[in-house]
Amino acid sequence: MSQPEYEAIVNEIRSARIPASPELRARVRALEAAVPPAPPRRELPWRRLSLVLVPACVDVGVAAPLTVGPAPSGKKGSAVAEGGAFTAARPTETLAPAFQAQSDSARAHKSAGKSGAGLPTTPGRAQIYEAQLTLKVNDLSTTTKRALRLTGSFGGYVRSVEYGSGRERGTAYLVLRVPIGSVQEAIVRFSGLGTILDQHVSIQDVQQQLDKRFRQMQSLRDTIAKLQAQLENPNLSSTDRAKLVAELVAARRQLDVLKVAQTRQQRQVSYATVSLDLRTQAKAAVVPHEAGRIGRALHRSGSILLDELKVVLYVLIVGAPLLALAALGMGAARISRRRVEARLLSGR
Amino acid sequence: MNMPRRRISPVHAVAEVPSFASVVERHLDDVHGYLVYLTRDRGIAEDLTAETFEKALRLWRRFDPRRGSARTWLCQLARTTALDHFRAEERRRRREGVYARDEYVDPEEGLFGGLSPELERALAALSVGEREVIALRVLLDLDGETAARVLGISVTACSTRLSRALKKLEERMSADVAA
Repeated sequence: MSQPEYEAIVNEIRSARIPASPELRARVRALEAAVPPAPPRRELPWRRLSLVLVPACVDVGVAAPLTVGPAPSGKKGSAVAEGGAFTAARPTETLAPAFQAQSDSARAHKSAGKSGAGLPTTPGRAQIYEAQLTLKVNDLSTTTKRALRLTGSFGGYVRSVEYGSGRERGTAYLVLRVPIGSVQEAIVRFSGLGTILDQHVSIQDVQQQLDKRFRQMQSLRDTIAKLQAQLENPNLSSTDRAKLVAELVAARRQLDVLKVAQTRQQRQVSYATVSLDLRTQAKAAVVPHEAGRIGRALHRSGSILLDELKVVLYVLIVGAPLLALAALGMGAARISRRRVEARLLSGR
Repeated sequence: MNMPRRRISPVHAVAEVPSFASVVERHLDDVHGYLVYLTRDRGIAEDLTAETFEKALRLWRRFDPRRGSARTWLCQLARTTALDHFRAEERRRRREGVYARDEYVDPEEGLFGGLSPELERALAALSVGEREVIALRVLLDLDGETAARVLGISVTACSTRLSRALKKLEERMSADVAA
């Protein structure tokens, strides 16, 4: 068909009018009075909101680590409190596990907060208290003498001393026994003799052993008393008497053994063993590298950013398949709708 | 001292929302004509027109003149209404077991507004989709972009559909004249 013929058809269609009937017109006009208008719906301007929200979220995500990073963290503070004067040395993880299980943690933290203070014993409990201190000192001889004097002033005694002084390096190893009641103060004083390089405290509760042994001793005493009472009977045969005497001797021997053990352990718990390792050079001073404030802040900011990245990645990994499924579903629904439309529009 | 007045750019100008009554007066015939082309039945077209305007009244607050003219918006609503009607009819036919949809029925005389009988018959013989594009592009004289938006297709697809429809119309008219 030529263009003019097309135009003829188009013009004919355009010139035709399909006016609505007066009834329809009246019907539609009446609608406004009959149908109440829908209440205004507050639609959120998503595009504008996203223009604000997305940069805001990114800003918060980046600013939060940078703000939180330089702030002093609670963890760092507690490390200082735990470490106390040992910031340059090994922190409290050097404590013996036995102690950590048995001692009261709150009191331990409180006393550990003091400079170089040892860990407290539990009042009313028999405990074997052992402490090892490695100190860097300037003058080995003077410090050793001061340590010995301090031990005497606390009512303690020196178990052993190993002293060696050379041109480049000198060491002294002292094993001291300090009354348990003064051990904390003693450790504080010993710590003041030099710079602490290492500290190890071990507390072992032996109260149960003492109590058990005491009960055994009481039982043996009762047995001995009974045997003695039986032996006072004049009607005993010589055979029975000999048997009772043998039992009595065995019980007394056992009681003596228990007494010795009890006394030894009571003596052991009444004094704490403090080992002092004095050095003129910090050979074993493994001072962990402490980054500066800016370094720590940057490190912390970096780790927070990394955590945020992990969360975003996690959300993407978990959410991506769901989003893909949703997109596929929407696409399928759209295709289906189009097909239905096409089918409906293909008819006459 | 007189300061020079700044001209308000069209972007910042607030588009005027016409009253619903004025929209009814201006576009009722257009919507009705479009639906007559779609349904090929004056009675159904009238019902669907009323339904379209009822829907438009309910949604009137959502109409945003910056997005398009009231006529385009009404045509979109009319199309949705008509498609819903076709779907419902299809379901009804399926339920009743009647498959006579494609059976040709002569349109009532003067259905398309007093066209020549050949053109009326040729139009009635076209598919709904073909009549629809003719109604939008020729009867309502919408531009290609607007018509494509109403149809939910690209401008190219819209042009292609229109030329195919016109060609088919011409062929049917020629065949009718020859017969």
